[in-house]
Amino acid sequence: MSATEEEKEQTVAEGEQAEASDEQAMASPEPVKPGTWLFIIPLVAFFIGFVVHLLVGWVVFPLLLYAGKKQPIDFNHKLHVEELGECEGCHYFREDGSFSGVPKLANCVECHEEAVGEHPEEAKLVREYVEPGKEIPWLIYARQPQCVFFSHAAHVNMAEMECATCHGPVGESDHTRPYQYNRLTLYSRDIWGHNIAGMTKNAWEYLQIKDSGGTIDGPARMKMDDCAECHEEKRGVKDSCFVCHK
Amino acid sequence: MKLDRRTFIELSVGFSVGAGTGILLSPVNWKLMDDMTIWSQELWPRYQLGGLKGQLPQRGEVTHVDSVCTLCPGGCGITVRKVGDRATKIEGRAGYPVNDGGICILGAAGLQLLYGPWRVPGPLRRAGQRGAGQWEQVSWEEAIAEAVKKLAALRGEGNAHTVACMLGSDRGTVPQLFARFMKAFGSPNLMRTATAEDTYELTLGLMQGVTSSVGYDLERANFILSFGSGLIEGWGSPVRVIKAHSIWRSANVKERATVVQIEPRLSNTAAKADRWYPINPGTEGALALGLAHVIIKESLYDDNFIRNHTFGFENGTDATGKGYMGFKRLVLTKYTPEAVSRMTGLSSSKIINLARAFARAKYPLAVWGRGKGTMPGSVYECMAVHALNALVGNINRPGGVWARPKVATQGWPEVSQDATAWTGYGMPRLDGAGTKRYPLTGHRPERLFQMASEKPGAVEALLVHEADPYYTTLDSQAVARAFENIPFVVSFSSYMDETAHHADLILPNHHYLERWEDCPTPVGLQKPLLGLLRPVVAPQFDTKHAGDTLMTIARALGGTIANAFPWEDYEGLLKETLADQWDTLEETGYVEQAGYTPPAWEQAFGTPSGKFEFYVSAFDQVGMTMRKDVGYLPHYEPVKPEGDAALYPLVLIPTDLMRLADGPVGNPPFCTKTLEETELKGNDLFVEVNPETAADHGLSEGQYATLETPKDTAKVLVHLFEGIMPGVIGIPKGLGHTGYDDYLAGKGVNANSLLGVVEDPISGLCATWGIRAKLTRV
Amino acid sequence: MKEAHHGEGDEKTYKFGMVIDLDKCTGCGACMVACMAENNISFRKDETDKLRSNFWMRVYKISNGLPFPDTEVSYIPRPCMHCEGYDHHHATPCVSVCPATVTDYNHETGIVSQIYTRCFGCRYCMAACPYHVRVFNWWDPRWPKGMEKYLNPDVSVRMRGVVEKCSFCFHRYQRAKNKAYAEGRRELREDEYQTACTQACPAGAITFGDLNDPHHKVYKLKKDPNAFRLLEKLGTNPKVYYVSTTDWVRKASDAYTGKQGEGVTPG
Repeated sequence: MSATEEEKEQTVAEGEQAEASDEQAMASPEPVKPGTWLFIIPLVAFFIGFVVHLLVGWVVFPLLLYAGKKQPIDFNHKLHVEELGECEGCHYFREDGSFSGVPKLANCVECHEEAVGEHPEEAKLVREYVEPGKEIPWLIYARQPQCVFFSHAAHVNMAEMECATCHGPVGESDHTRPYQYNRLTLYSRDIWGHNIAGMTKNAWEYLQIKDSGGTIDGPARMKMDDCAECHEEKRGVKDSCFVCHK
Repeated sequence: MKLDRRTFIELSVGFSVGAGTGILLSPVNWKLMDDMTIWSQELWPRYQLGGLKGQLPQRGEVTHVDSVCTLCPGGCGITVRKVGDRATKIEGRAGYPVNDGGICILGAAGLQLLYGPWRVPGPLRRAGQRGAGQWEQVSWEEAIAEAVKKLAALRGEGNAHTVACMLGSDRGTVPQLFARFMKAFGSPNLMRTATAEDTYELTLGLMQGVTSSVGYDLERANFILSFGSGLIEGWGSPVRVIKAHSIWRSANVKERATVVQIEPRLSNTAAKADRWYPINPGTEGALALGLAHVIIKESLYDDNFIRNHTFGFENGTDATGKGYMGFKRLVLTKYTPEAVSRMTGLSSSKIINLARAFARAKYPLAVWGRGKGTMPGSVYECMAVHALNALVGNINRPGGVWARPKVATQGWPEVSQDATAWTGYGMPRLDGAGTKRYPLTGHRPERLFQMASEKPGAVEALLVHEADPYYTTLDSQAVARAFENIPFVVSFSSYMDETAHHADLILPNHHYLERWEDCPTPVGLQKPLLGLLRPVVAPQFDTKHAGDTLMTIARALGGTIANAFPWEDYEGLLKETLADQWDTLEETGYVEQAGYTPPAWEQAFGTPSGKFEFYVSAFDQVGMTMRKDVGYLPHYEPVKPEGDAALYPLVLIPTDLMRLADGPVGNPPFCTKTLEETELKGNDLFVEVNPETAADHGLSEGQYATLETPKDTAKVLVHLFEGIMPGVIGIPKGLGHTGYDDYLAGKGVNANSLLGVVEDPISGLCATWGIRAKLTRV
Repeated sequence: MKEAHHGEGDEKTYKFGMVIDLDKCTGCGACMVACMAENNISFRKDETDKLRSNFWMRVYKISNGLPFPDTEVSYIPRPCMHCEGYDHHHATPCVSVCPATVTDYNHETGIVSQIYTRCFGCRYCMAACPYHVRVFNWWDPRWPKGMEKYLNPDVSVRMRGVVEKCSFCFHRYQRAKNKAYAEGRRELREDEYQTACTQACPAGAITFGDLNDPHHKVYKLKKDPNAFRLLEKLGTNPKVYYVSTTDWVRKASDAYTGKQGEGVTPG
């Protein structure tokens, strides 16, 4: 409706004020009588805005915030656990008590100097990394910020915690899940947890790990509060900053 | 429905409120808040970390590599902590015979030199004017071909002897390779930087008839009388001396050692000493003789040693029947406490008491060599101090001065010279060392530059290895002139130091943490020790071991020169040379003779008399006939500072700071950072002046002044310090660099440029201890 | 009192401290550089403005103020004192003023922490610290190209706008504990945890250990009749002790309460 038409209408309305009182009531700024369907307009608008932005916040926002990357090699943990046994076979402690983390190429080469099977991913490993002697740029799901000190020895050796308690049943997976990272912080999505609200109970529940066996209790996320909560609960004390920070 | 104004407002307000509520009920806000916090704390600084390129220091497997530090002649054992393939920290090696876990300030900052931007990235050829800093990066083949072309041309013209070589040291296989090269090539002009150790070696040769380096049994001494030695500043092997100092301080109060420091300035050493006796600069020799006077007069000397193992203490007649004056007579007549008090400015009662305390101590030890011992000094002064040690009988004794044999044999085949080499090598040395005038001296580096600046064509090419003569030689302006007269300068430096900066070709050596090399006994250590440098990290730049570079050059020159180097590479040569020691060295990193003791007095002296000679008959043997008897004896012969006292009323002395490297290696940023605010401000250097002197010259704290000596003028800041003698100005050595980069270059003044060379009459080495100067308000 | 909630749990508690022998300290500065190398401390081209220069460990030079030739000089290395305080009225000065809980007193080790990522740079703690051990990052650290290779991954790199200070090389404690855990131990031996400055000191002037443990060297050394602490009268209860046989140096430790004209002047 153009402005001129509106003005014309208004002029007409003013001229025929007495006769067209019903018509006027519809266009005038006076309060609408209850029960008229027009009251619904702001409500509908509210509802639409509400729903759209809930969707934006819960669905679109995480899609924008996180970016995904594929691991350089689709690693089959299950197969390796079957062949080599426990996690410690590859993710071992060094003599100084530090944790080796993700194995270096040298560890892989111990078995895969040449392809031992016929899997295309293994062929890729040999071709792209073993032969040129290039380290595999694994993406670390559990990498903590630089101000964090985490002792695997304290948790595994002293507190006798299972690897899966924090990392999930990784050993049962036959594919690597995509590595997702926060575009702002560059940290892995696992730190905040996969629930965008941070209310996840198990970060790995949402991952498409086939043959995942049951649920395992663990921290909801890998944020400081989660560490602190567990420490307070298990050790009965509130820790100082210089326990996990460096 | 019509969308009128009202509807529009209703819709948009409704939508907005809904949107806001929706967002509020979604995690966007608290999630973004958290992320922004992390971003500001973690990510943003990452981009600020210059070279880190967004990468924080990566974790990895930690390993430790043991090696030896060669940043100074101290030769400390080091343990380098590595994370992955990065060296992250240098620590003192626990259990190493020199430093047992301790490390000095310079050694701890070594990684800044390894990874610093002042490294020479690869072979460079000068592109612009000399010293303009314009370089062309060339391949190793090209660079070596260029050096070979120049050297071969000189040799072809019969000018092999005009090639000179300047080394930082003569210890170990690499300097010996250079010596071998010079011999095979045909030039006698092999030089090395001279230090106080040279003068002491000469003194040991004269008075004891031995070819030995000096070793001090510091750890067992309990009365240390230091004639200006910067024991704490970095004299000898710094960590070892500081450790000895702690031993002196550790014993219970009764057995605690006494340290007396003789020095015009309250240095760190003086501050740590039990007593500090400031004396007129340059009169240390007179004081030593004054002390000898009291010791002799009061018969406090070691009677057994003096009577049975010395020569020339009493007057006597020599083999030819000629009568000579003894040390006793000279000292008793000429160096009475009163006379010495007039010369030194120290009261006679202090002289007497000091002499008594020294002689009565159980293990007295007189130590010589000013500051860090970087300047050779006066031979007679050294003899006077050494005579004090002899008087108390501590030669080759526990807590005394030990003559440690110089090991020079490496079992390499003789060099066979062709005619050119034979002729060239037989030419007289440019510096006059080893001639009739200076028969006892091996090399006089300062003289080489004087010759080069006086006689164009005298030096046609100069090879420099592990030395920075352009910076460290006194009278810098003369050295700069000399460089203008040397058409071809080759530097083997790892760093862009001043000499490299003024070179025509740089053939960068591996850094000391990147190479294999042997490191023989550190300066001042009493027991022989051989340490091994090993590559801690892979070469960071396109560098090559100087030994390999030199052998490649030799092979390209061909003929007998190539034949002189039959080894495949330096590593092979090192293994072959160290032969049966190699396995131990490779495993433990060092070979020590822990049980070493110096020979007993009966066998210790190789002098004509077979005894310790106060009266040095060796002078006659080498043809240095003295006009008077006193010339054969330790006596006080003042080394006059250059300059007219009327024009230059003050005396400038160089001072050594522990936190400031003043040798061929530039001070790393960490060390420069630790300089006091009364030492460096912005780019201006402070000189120390006594408040009394400052008042006389109208100067106050922090004021700018012009410091003028006969050699150079500099703008400095004035720091009033009660710890410096009135009339004396102290200027720290080690700043005023033009090489390296902005972390060092342009800061302060090079003290060497303000000083001149005063030749010692015996050694012909630089005996300078200071220079006359003038300080005027700006 | 938030400290009251902190406890020891199943860990052995320590009270780490230092005894510095000023008779042995030569002022060489090796501790300062070892500290800078260990703790990723930044440096700039011009570091001569000492008010803005970053030192966790700094060696001060003090003088007895007498004229030539009676002048004497002494060197005082000054790390963080890791003040324990005595009670709520004499608590750790910096901890009690921090509005962001950036710094706390660790009852397991007696170490005063500093969490850089929490700090927003108000600098109350710097004003509160009587020992001037805290430094503010006026600039972002920048390493010349290539030099970032020597950075220690065990210590966080700090940014502009935050305060930092000596941590008694706490990461070395973490490292030592890690090793002990891997070997199934909870307790540390004396030599397993030593600070970088202690390790580097060529004079052996610094001794570090558990002040509560009679088997540790510091336990005995702190009882030396010539032992003292800096500004004892303030009631900060610092954990760094000094030993000096020189009277004026011991007196200088309470410089703030000394009469004007006696005591110390900067060297």
